[in-house]
Amino acid sequence: MADLVPSRIEVRDLTLTYGHDTVLDALNLPIPRGKVTVLAGPNGCGKSTLLRAIRRLHTGQKGQILLDNVDIASLGAKDLARQIGLLAQNPSAPPDMTVEELVRLGRYPHQAMLQPWSERDGAAVNRAMDGTGVTGLKTRRIGSLSGGQLQRAWIAMVLAQETDVICLDEPVNHLDMAHQLDCLDLVLKLNQEDGRTIVLVLHDLNLAARYADQLVFVHEGRVRALGQPEELMKPELLAEVFEVDAAIMTDPVHGRPICIPRGRARAAVQEVA
Amino acid sequence: MVSTLAMSPQSQGLRLGPARVYAGLILLLALSMLMSLTLGYKIYSLDQVWMALFAHDGSETAVVIAGLRLPRALIAPLAGAALGMAGVMVQTLSRNRIASPDTLGLNAGASLAVVVASIMLGVQSLAGLSLAAAFGAFVTAIVVFGVAASAGGLSPLKIVLVGVTFASLSHAFVEVLLTSNEAQLQQLLFWLSGAFVDRPIALFYNGLPVVIVGGIIGIGLSRALDALQADDSTAAGLGVPLAAVRGLAFVAVALLTGAAVSMAGPVAFVGLVVPHAARRLVGLRHIHQLPAAALFGAVYATLADVAARFVIYPVEAPVGAITAVVGAIVLLVLLMRRAA
Repeated sequence: MADLVPSRIEVRDLTLTYGHDTVLDALNLPIPRGKVTVLAGPNGCGKSTLLRAIRRLHTGQKGQILLDNVDIASLGAKDLARQIGLLAQNPSAPPDMTVEELVRLGRYPHQAMLQPWSERDGAAVNRAMDGTGVTGLKTRRIGSLSGGQLQRAWIAMVLAQETDVICLDEPVNHLDMAHQLDCLDLVLKLNQEDGRTIVLVLHDLNLAARYADQLVFVHEGRVRALGQPEELMKPELLAEVFEVDAAIMTDPVHGRPICIPRGRARAAVQEVA
Repeated sequence: MVSTLAMSPQSQGLRLGPARVYAGLILLLALSMLMSLTLGYKIYSLDQVWMALFAHDGSETAVVIAGLRLPRALIAPLAGAALGMAGVMVQTLSRNRIASPDTLGLNAGASLAVVVASIMLGVQSLAGLSLAAAFGAFVTAIVVFGVAASAGGLSPLKIVLVGVTFASLSHAFVEVLLTSNEAQLQQLLFWLSGAFVDRPIALFYNGLPVVIVGGIIGIGLSRALDALQADDSTAAGLGVPLAAVRGLAFVAVALLTGAAVSMAGPVAFVGLVVPHAARRLVGLRHIHQLPAAALFGAVYATLADVAARFVIYPVEAPVGAITAVVGAIVLLVLLMRRAA
């Protein structure tokens, strides 16, 4: 087990309520240093809310988020933004903004109010654009980019923030299969080459199992289970958390577990007929 | 080698680099102010202007130039600069490229305050009316901001909806007050469409420090405003204190609009048109967008003021009517381009 890696982030008793709805219910979660943690769960389970809470974006959240044993409530907004980066779900910016202008936004937490743009800022922006392969697009307006290019530009923006922890909220939502893999491979590279701690919210369970070091099933505002994908991808657990009847197999290419839901797929329907 | 030569200007669009843009706009501003001094019902030579400004001999020509032409040649660019910067900030705050101080109801609030001051409080002096205008813009800003904030979050859409609601309400009150006080209608009508003519130069000196303060706040916030062009989650994730930045930027908008309205009345659509030009010239970073909007706004308002003297020559047209026509055309083009 990967439990020997000390937790970089420790979520303790995190509770968040909207009116009478309890979205997160005394949730506890360790996020190990230098690993890819993937939050998965059915719609409305609170996984995106949890990710945003780790970045302290909700008012009225109760409980503690410890980052290297420091409660993030004690950190200033810019301090926190230098340590945890966030790629929001469906982020937006004006279509006539250039890629370079977008990536430069990532330097915000590193700059004092009227401090001039430094060489370090420029180097960080160039590194972020190189690392995501958007350097050649830097004068392009983001409204003219393809979905895959645009997502790379956004990842570059978060990279320019130079944070050790990067949170990504459903980063592959609107991408086709090739670009989903392209984007997640890029995220994996950030983890493996730079040792960054990655927290991902993913909808697709098979992608989650494929990229996660630690997989987390969020269910009704709590962590229902966490561990390596092999430990979590069990038919009983999937039935309970996702309400699907699924067969689990091992992906012959990567050796990761994949689930095949027995729904009303065409073959099954034909079989019945 | 050949291709770099052929491609470089196109890939940058209209963006020439801020230094060249500033230099060009400053040159244009000087030129348009000179036009404002020389051109009009009577056309003066550069010698006469020079004499009136620097060697005032008490002649009628010198009196007209120094007393009538000079104030408007100073007030028009200052009001245009203020509205240009206010427009940039409003469009960023509301994430809406067709928003402007007009959309937030600030001009309407200023008009209402002027009408109330004139009809109900008996204020007659221009200084009194201009103070009322600034007060009206400022109070409207606070009310719109307060209502939008209390309605849960300060979403861009909410700010605009509250602003439009208040604008309609203010307009309704203005109509009612004007209809029931026809005697004063004529006197207020010219003011209510916005103009730079017949303004005492004192208004310029009163407005200048306010515009400078508003501009400095905007420049100070420029990086936060850059980040606010992205969605709230992204901006908050970058460490931008959203409520504080919005509040401060709103104060700057109120100061700038209030100063402009106090000098010139509600000159329509300047705050809508100018930011589009500024972004095309220098891009989306506010550290350049705001100064470019100030300069372009100054040139635009000054040229509109010169044009106002000739469209129905020898009678002078209200400059607000000119900017309204230009603004309406730009707005239509923007809307059609968006629909396409």
